[in-house]
Amino acid sequence: MATEVKKIVLAGTDDHDLTKLAEYEAVGGYKALPKARAMTPQEVTEELITSELRGRGGAFFPTGRKWSFVPSKEQIPKPHYLVVNADESEPGSFKDNEIMSRVPHRFIEGCLITAHSIDSKHVFVDIRGEYSGPYEILVNALEELKDRPEIRGDVTIVVHRGAGAYICGEETALLESLEGKRGQPRSKPPFPAISGLYASPTVVNNVETITTVPPIIEMGGAEYAKLGVPNTRGTRVVSLSGNVVNGGNYEIAPGMTVRAIIDELGGGIPDGRELKAVVPGGSSTVILTKDEIDVGYDFDSLGQLKTAMGSAGIVVLDDRCCIVQLGIRFSEFYEHESCGKCTPCREGTRWLTAILRKLEDGRATQADLDLLLDVCDRINGKCLCPLGDSDAIIIASYVAKFRDEFIAHIEEGGCPFGGESSLDHVLAPIAMHTHSPVAEVPA
Amino acid sequence: MTQTVQDLVTVTIDERQVQVPKGTGIVETAASAGIEIPVFCYEPRLGAPVGACRMCLVEVEGMPKLQAGCTLTAQDGMIVKTARSSALAAEGQNSTLEFILVNHPLDCPVCDKGGECPLQDLTFRYGPGNTRMTFPKRTFEKPIPISPLIALDRERCILCYRCTRFSESVAEDGQLVAINRGAQSVIATFEDEPYKGHFSGNVTELCPVGALTSTQYRFEARPWEIQNVPTVCGLCPVGCNTAATTREGKVKRILSRNHPEVDEGWLCDKGRFAFDHLHARDRITTPLRKAGPRRFEELSWDDAIDTAEKLLRDGGSSTVTALSGNESVEEAYALAKVMRQGLSADSAVLPEEVPDALDSYRAPLSALREARTIAVYCDEPVVERAPVVELWLKAARRKGATITYGAPDGPVDALVTDQPGLTFGADNVYYLPRTPNGRGVTDAWSAAGDGEPVDGKPRVVVISGDEAATDPAVRAMAADAEIVIGIGMFQESFRGIADLVLPGTSYLERDGTTINLEGRLQRQRRAVLAPVPDVLAWLSKLGERFGVELSPHSSVVFDEISGKCFGGISYADIGERAELPAPAERPSSAERTSDPGETVAAARSAQGLRLVAYRPLFSGPAVDRTPELQFQRPSGDVQISREDAKKRGIRHGQNVTVTSNGTTVELRAHIARDLAAGTVRVAASDAGDLHASVEVTS
Amino acid sequence: MSLYEAIQDVRAIYPDDSESAVLPALRLAQAEYGWLSPDALREVADALETTPAYCKSVASFYDQFHLVPIGEHLVEVCTNVSCAVVGAQQVVEAFEGELGCHAGETSADGKVTLRAVECLGGCGWATIVAVDNHYRTHVKADDVPAIVRELQGVSETHGD
Ligand SMILES: Cc1cc2nc3c(=O)[nH]c(=O)nc-3n(C[C@H](O)[C@H](O)[C@H](O)COP(=O)(O)O)c2cc1C
Ligand code: SF4
Ligand code: FES
Repeated sequence: MATEVKKIVLAGTDDHDLTKLAEYEAVGGYKALPKARAMTPQEVTEELITSELRGRGGAFFPTGRKWSFVPSKEQIPKPHYLVVNADESEPGSFKDNEIMSRVPHRFIEGCLITAHSIDSKHVFVDIRGEYSGPYEILVNALEELKDRPEIRGDVTIVVHRGAGAYICGEETALLESLEGKRGQPRSKPPFPAISGLYASPTVVNNVETITTVPPIIEMGGAEYAKLGVPNTRGTRVVSLSGNVVNGGNYEIAPGMTVRAIIDELGGGIPDGRELKAVVPGGSSTVILTKDEIDVGYDFDSLGQLKTAMGSAGIVVLDDRCCIVQLGIRFSEFYEHESCGKCTPCREGTRWLTAILRKLEDGRATQADLDLLLDVCDRINGKCLCPLGDSDAIIIASYVAKFRDEFIAHIEEGGCPFGGESSLDHVLAPIAMHTHSPVAEVPA
Repeated sequence: MTQTVQDLVTVTIDERQVQVPKGTGIVETAASAGIEIPVFCYEPRLGAPVGACRMCLVEVEGMPKLQAGCTLTAQDGMIVKTARSSALAAEGQNSTLEFILVNHPLDCPVCDKGGECPLQDLTFRYGPGNTRMTFPKRTFEKPIPISPLIALDRERCILCYRCTRFSESVAEDGQLVAINRGAQSVIATFEDEPYKGHFSGNVTELCPVGALTSTQYRFEARPWEIQNVPTVCGLCPVGCNTAATTREGKVKRILSRNHPEVDEGWLCDKGRFAFDHLHARDRITTPLRKAGPRRFEELSWDDAIDTAEKLLRDGGSSTVTALSGNESVEEAYALAKVMRQGLSADSAVLPEEVPDALDSYRAPLSALREARTIAVYCDEPVVERAPVVELWLKAARRKGATITYGAPDGPVDALVTDQPGLTFGADNVYYLPRTPNGRGVTDAWSAAGDGEPVDGKPRVVVISGDEAATDPAVRAMAADAEIVIGIGMFQESFRGIADLVLPGTSYLERDGTTINLEGRLQRQRRAVLAPVPDVLAWLSKLGERFGVELSPHSSVVFDEISGKCFGGISYADIGERAELPAPAERPSSAERTSDPGETVAAARSAQGLRLVAYRPLFSGPAVDRTPELQFQRPSGDVQISREDAKKRGIRHGQNVTVTSNGTTVELRAHIARDLAAGTVRVAASDAGDLHASVEVTS
Repeated sequence: MSLYEAIQDVRAIYPDDSESAVLPALRLAQAEYGWLSPDALREVADALETTPAYCKSVASFYDQFHLVPIGEHLVEVCTNVSCAVVGAQQVVEAFEGELGCHAGETSADGKVTLRAVECLGGCGWATIVAVDNHYRTHVKADDVPAIVRELQGVSETHGD
């Protein structure tokens, strides 16, 4: 499998500083925009449908089709909005960080083309509050466009900063947050395309999705659709992290195996350790054992293993990682990030952490392991949004694939790693809350 | 709107087929098939369903996951299975209950909600038999007073967000909120400041568990010891339908009885909490005679009736009667009959003058639901005058209605007004009376006689009710008279002015009828026995002395006036949910005279800002005697329109000076949306000596 | 420009009847005062013509708003899995040792508040430590003393 891929999203970044408008234009930037504007909005959408591009935010929904759901201004006479999801907070994912930092203008060009396609004059980029760096780069890039009215057109782009809440990556929670509310997901329907931001038709897309739009217009949807493998076209920027020599973002050709990504791009496992498991698409995806990593990194191949590319955050775990502790740490994350709106997520994630802790501490019996799986079952499929479901699904997958390790915790009356696990006693924010300067937690 | 056949869809629920309009919620669809889907967070009156608690999970054919019945809507051919026929749905509901109970204390025996708690009931029906949760439950300090009226027990809270949704999107007061995220979330007010607002008490009824309870009701009664008497609130002209919970002859709490046309199940805090006035320390329990400048002495009933007869005979036909507007129709009629037929004393100070033309535009308050344009032509804040009308206006605005303040400058669907004698160009007109039953009292007065009032200074004045007795104009007239006879509940109202006082009763202690601002005739029922005889009883005795025949029974008195005023409807026909009579024929447009715009324009031409010193809802004899309500009194705000504020560089929340002719008052600026430019509003108690024309400076 | 004026400017970016300016306004107030005290929340509420309770409700939902005072500098260590498997906990403990306080607390001299935080979105460059909201990458426990000295020496306020 070739490691070289013609970059599309991050094209030109190897030898240019594309944060500068001049350099971006020098490599042919802002050429797709006039081309798109010469087309009708419907034609642009058609081009996207032809390209078979699917959303890079996690749900992998066909982008062109999403745009086509936006009703006409005659049907709903309200402003249309484009909201870009730059909230990237899924553990393991940091690709949007890099994209905004390296190719801000390509991203902005994508916003402007998309705005044209959905007949919108207002773009909101909702960027997670912690991303001060990318925020400053975006603001500078927009500043550079101040006296380029031919590029800006009559579209305003507002960069709206979040303030620290993973749930605000969920599209309806993001809209609530953008409306100045607590970021709690809305019940769907209505879908954002009909009633989104300010109850108006809204398209929500991920940063990478939007940044892929200019190249698609440039090369044509049909060309783009020739790249990659069926159901996963074009390229994908994957985030590689964990126990790997060269962590970082890599733009790959879909279908490349997970093993190749880790070994060839990532330089393998450091410190002479053995691979144990891989989280393939951010914390919310079903884990892969070391024997499952010859799978192609694409929608269908991963789907056969009942997992997904998610937000393309590949977390590599070596043999020092206790899977029960992995469950605790991720479960603590979901517990901390649960918005508190729906019951199963709010109460269930907390309960899962508690049972996992009991296992880790060696106080659990087989009945507790059964209870753990039962609670997973009781959460899964009953929540308002996928956050709580994710916790239940991944924990169940850890038990399914590493049952022996769970049993060992019960039988040995504690963690078989005896404090040597790479995740031993990691302080999670939820545990810090008791003496937190952040949120008041009533006793 | 008539439902055409095309709009109906067929849905199968647990093998029962029902037809409902497309888009009907599945919870309602199931109900129409006689099937209950349990809910916690769902409450249609709070706006669009939120699908938060997940109690209502159902299985829908063709959908892989369980669906929340509350957010799901009926589509043709949909096949739904509830917990009755689907193991999956049953497991879903059982799961939700188990998750809720993970942190809910099992303190039902000492919980005020016990016995009338949906969580208790649903746990009994669908819940897990035992607990599998072995780690410690969340605990909180409890109970926390979120105001002198409401206690919050956070351990019991199931985070359904009903209360915060009410505060945010019904009352729109932004006072009761959720703080923190996830399992750390708690319901709270800002920095433990009290939940101040006209409607806070509704959250105690909305809360499906014992988390938000009334401090007045705390540990007062168990559900099997109480009686709920259906009645109608007598404290403002909306006439919300209520149930008075009584135990051992005492009112313990007031609940809403949801009349969807009148109040949609909301009550204001005055109506809900002010019943303590029944037990006021200065409650008059026997007839009283003046025994010194500030002193009364008791006298027997026989003496009292003798004295009243003698004093009234002295006054004769020049006697003037001042009415409060919170008498029942029957009480007002009985008094009017004694005065007019017994003494030919036809002069009265009536609480309201209500234009007859109103009856042609009669519509239920619920018509505001459909209004697109509403003009509010009332200088005083609507919420202070007729609180629940404000909720109807807010609901209309949320649905997209345009609401303008000041004179309407175009056709409107509804006109809210306190100005009598208008022309009504609008489809629906709601006149906001100043008193709870001013219309009924005025009607009763005219029905009792047709003699002409006489001019001149009265020797004897009869003051009916504490409201009239505390009205400055009435007090001025009384000060000029030789003899003053009072009828009322509280000594303070009459001290120093009345020579003889006969005990009155509260709306909670009498049977009778009232007419609300829509023109709806409603029945009040006696919730508790008064500590004094019925007013009708002694009025009938007094009437005998003057040869006036009067029944002591309100039903008989009502039947006597019904023919003259209410089209002959019988007392028994006024149901528990009174209907609004059909509107009268409308005058032709040629007969519609004055233009509402003119009066307002004239009033507005004054220099500077026009000051409206309004009477706050939280004032008056009943509120004065309810200690828990004192924090609700207005505290030093001047309401100013955004336009006027901008012109003067005034910011919301800033301290400002209100000046008129040398008088100044320091107040806090409150930028109000419900105010026309050119007008500012201050509570009468804050207005000091300010004149009608003021300037506001920062 | 006063906080009030700054808030009015950001308010103008969003549609009229929306509350969208709440987050930016809270951010501005926090930049001004270091944390969101009850008075700061009142000030924001008045400037936006909303209630302090609403502002607090929103602020308390988000991790980046401080409802109790914090130190002059803020050090946030990501302890999510990608950072943790390469030594984030050792980094936290190194900071705790240097600062003499636990994560979640402020050093006795009031200079530095230390927190453990969820994934900061820099997993491949672990361990990520956000110092006054700007990321340091590849931080190891050994780097901590130098960072702490830097913060104790230079006394500029944090901001973005
Ligand atoms: C809990 C949760 C967190 C999410 N976080 C993100 C995120 O940080 N960034 C993102 O683009 N999408 C995120 N999503 C997916 C969004 O809901 C949405 O599907 C996506 O933004 C759509 O964009 P796309 O079609 O371009 O992928 C998240 C979803 C969930 C349920
Ligand atoms: S206090 Fe009551 S109404 Fe409010 S969220 Fe809790 S359970 Fe629901
Ligand atoms: S009643 Fe449907 S989710 Fe609460």
